[in-house]
Amino acid sequence: MSEEAFLSPVEDTVPKTGDVAVGEDLEFQRAWWRFERGIWIFFLLLLIADLLGLFGRGWLAKAKAVDQSQTLSLDYERIERANTPSIMTLHFGRAAIQNGKVKVFVSEEIIKPLGAQRISPQPESSTIGDGGITYTFAATQPPATAEIALLPSFPGAHHFRIQVAGGQPIDGDVVVVP
Amino acid sequence: MATIVHAVAGYFILLFIVRVLARRAGSQMTLFEFVIVFLMGGIIILSTVGNDRSVTNCTCAVIAVGLLHRATAWAKSKSPRIGAILDGTPLVMIRDGEWQQEVIRGMKIRPEDLEAAARTANVTRVEDIDYAILERNGRISVFPKKDA
Repeated sequence: MSEEAFLSPVEDTVPKTGDVAVGEDLEFQRAWWRFERGIWIFFLLLLIADLLGLFGRGWLAKAKAVDQSQTLSLDYERIERANTPSIMTLHFGRAAIQNGKVKVFVSEEIIKPLGAQRISPQPESSTIGDGGITYTFAATQPPATAEIALLPSFPGAHHFRIQVAGGQPIDGDVVVVP
Repeated sequence: MATIVHAVAGYFILLFIVRVLARRAGSQMTLFEFVIVFLMGGIIILSTVGNDRSVTNCTCAVIAVGLLHRATAWAKSKSPRIGAILDGTPLVMIRDGEWQQEVIRGMKIRPEDLEAAARTANVTRVEDIDYAILERNGRISVFPKKDA
């Protein structure tokens, strides 16, 4: 009802049912019921997709990548959630360990958009350049792993690259959902 | 900035979910439905304020929700269609003493709900009801038969 209704004489402005001014709109209500049935199916599909990990934190979100020279394999989540922590795990192969050290290059996208919070274990040194950071770890024999804790701040799609010295680069994509 | 965006999104998500859940708010709300309202409100607030729990942030979120509510009320006053989408329309459950089966089934009305509304209107028997109308706020208006 608009404000103009208050300028006109005092009378019913909505359709009557019998003697009662009800303003029932059954056609609208029938359309709403149809919409509701559709929306509940949509909600159900949304929950199933969430359980499967289509919005992160599930089976579909988990990803694994291995470089061609077997120096590095990577466990990460291809779908991340904004402001939700996750772990990217780097598994180093035998060829990655050279002179008791592992050097791994991590592109800038992992540091800033994907929000790298810390790397474990603490690297011996960190060198910036070439659009990222090169970490150097002391290492003995495989199995040898390092973990990067991620906490993306904003939604978006990000392409990253990780490479061990002497190995092939691993390129991956991560989608951050709100 | 993010808080205001989250508050706007949270407001409309909550409004939409509550709208499609059922029309049983206010005077018709049961303890069972109180649980839903508090739980959903608690969940949505987590993403609205995030890690920034400062007074400034929370004040901005509250103002954003207040402005949205005001804008929504204004839109409803200007357009009956928007009002119908947001609040629904009144629905006649009993017309001339006859059940309106389509409405009863569609709105999942229980006989107990109508009997409670009849008692509120000092009507002791359901068969004495001439008109029963499910209002937009979930209340049931009951008009007894003239000879009842």
